[in-house]
Amino acid sequence: MTIAVLLKQVPDTTAKISVNGGRVDESAVSKWSFSPYDEYALEAALQLKEVAGGELVAITAGPARCEKLLRDAAAVGADTLVHISAENVNDLDSIQIQKLLAAAVEKSGASVIFCGKQAADTNAGSTGPGVAELIGASCVTLVSEVAADGAGYTATRPSSSGHEKVGVSAPCVFAFDKGLTEMRRPNVRGIMMAKKKPIETWSVAYLGVDIGASSVNIDSHSPPAEKPPGQKFEGAESVSTVVGKLRDEANVI
Amino acid sequence: MPYEALDFYDVDSLLTEEERMVRDMVRDFVDEDVIPKIEYACRDGVFPDEWRVALGEMGVLGAPLEGYGCSGLSYTAYGVICRELERGDSGLRSFASVQGSLAMYPIWDFGSEEQKQHYLPKMASGEWIGCFGLTEPDYGSNPGDMITKAEDMGGHYLLNGAKMWITNGTIAQVAIVWAKLDGVIRGFIVEKDDPGFSAPEMKGKHSLKASVTSELVFQDCKIPKDRLLPNVEGLRGPFSCLNNARYGISWGAVGAAQACFDSARDYSLSRIQFTHPIASYQLVQNKLSWMLREITKAQLLAYHLGQKKDAGTWIPEQISLAKMNNVDIALEIAREARDIHGANGILDEYCIMRHMANLESVKTYEGTHDIHNLILGRHITGIQAFTREL
Repeated sequence: MTIAVLLKQVPDTTAKISVNGGRVDESAVSKWSFSPYDEYALEAALQLKEVAGGELVAITAGPARCEKLLRDAAAVGADTLVHISAENVNDLDSIQIQKLLAAAVEKSGASVIFCGKQAADTNAGSTGPGVAELIGASCVTLVSEVAADGAGYTATRPSSSGHEKVGVSAPCVFAFDKGLTEMRRPNVRGIMMAKKKPIETWSVAYLGVDIGASSVNIDSHSPPAEKPPGQKFEGAESVSTVVGKLRDEANVI
Repeated sequence: MPYEALDFYDVDSLLTEEERMVRDMVRDFVDEDVIPKIEYACRDGVFPDEWRVALGEMGVLGAPLEGYGCSGLSYTAYGVICRELERGDSGLRSFASVQGSLAMYPIWDFGSEEQKQHYLPKMASGEWIGCFGLTEPDYGSNPGDMITKAEDMGGHYLLNGAKMWITNGTIAQVAIVWAKLDGVIRGFIVEKDDPGFSAPEMKGKHSLKASVTSELVFQDCKIPKDRLLPNVEGLRGPFSCLNNARYGISWGAVGAAQACFDSARDYSLSRIQFTHPIASYQLVQNKLSWMLREITKAQLLAYHLGQKKDAGTWIPEQISLAKMNNVDIALEIAREARDIHGANGILDEYCIMRHMANLESVKTYEGTHDIHNLILGRHITGIQAFTREL
């Protein structure tokens, strides 16, 4: 069995984001990391591999900087590293990226696919269902846990009354919400092995997939509006004003 | 505020990708498992056992040693590990320094094949803790005149004497003890349960509070003959260990200084006095820029020394300079950072006074600041000034 984990490199949640000329200035991003939900997906995939055996292939699409992400995945236990080389990844829309990922998944021979429910930068949330559609796989979203149950897999996801367990068989895609355990920390042995592991770089041409033209055009990025300054009230006589504002403006009481 | 490691000259860009991954691993451990617990550990005066387990799992104990379950990383990587650990706390870095450089290294370099196979894998994994007994109550800077002695009783050795200021002593399963056998300094492996050996903890420290410091007492302590380190005699044994530990300290001090700088910068930007952040005042900016200047120099010193260690082109005097300088500036930076924090600087909400108190020990142990000056003085002039006929 081959398990694929689809990973995206995003600006670290602690990195300062600046916008320059209507675009996020990537050169100013001090630290790139795994998208947090992808970390949960990777950890769950590693745990499934430990129980069910098989190969774990880590796949990412993006520019050369993404190789670091694959090395980090190898350090915690990914067996095969696939880099879909796409320097212009920001010009591609979600469907184009899904086509690339789906082609790579099929080329890797994986039948069980893990990914995060959404990426921390774009938050589009379409990768899991999109790839599943393209490869004709079942898809379970908002997953927190996956277990192998002999014939197939049981995924735990939230339901209106708590949690539900969904049984699927391969091929299947699990789009992870916050999982049960955080991604493991690597160790020196893993890091030293990761250094030696080859990264397979697959170009769009090599994948032989027609991704068509982008159907989405981003006009511009803009930083979030600055928060309006807070208002300060002092003394007992301000109570009625504060209560009025909480009721009428903030709608919290 | 997340920690931002000052690296004004991009010195870390000189590291290999592997060294940067090791850095990120240890930094993550310190952020997640050390910083949230360190003040409690200090108040309770304990070294949390889960840190021992984590250090072993990460594979950073005895990191630059090859084989026997050790990682075989570069000395530069070992330095980076020390820097990141000491950003958390000097006591944590001390644990790793003692385990790797002072307890594992002598077994690795001077031990028999059987000793290496028996001790090193369990020490690399953190299962067994090691300590290093050289300093005595009356012999600190002058270890050559140590009193502790070993006698060859035919079937075993008998150890008598006492060691003091021994990091990890009480919690160690293995002690590397330097003692005189027929007047010559030799290394012995003493195990926790050897008859006549005890390791009472020293209490009441204002420094390195999250680190265990002990006495080692030998009263007719009987140890088997196969516990002598066969391949070294004289002060070269302990000094070889100290060279490696001092090298690690030269990096570690940078980590403590970076932590203090980070806190001082953040505090000065948020602390408003006279209607403006104190960071906007020239006196505070002068202090911050001095810190940046000294940290940058210390980083370059540590990195270049690491390259020399890895190339095998170093001399002990170069380690003396780096240990002395980097601890000295780290301590001064901690003091200045405490000053910038005003009254808040004495609280354990901020790391700086803890680092300051720790660095007072670091300045003194592993060769005092003054002794390192004398080592350099001898190197420059050819005249030793440690002792004279009075």
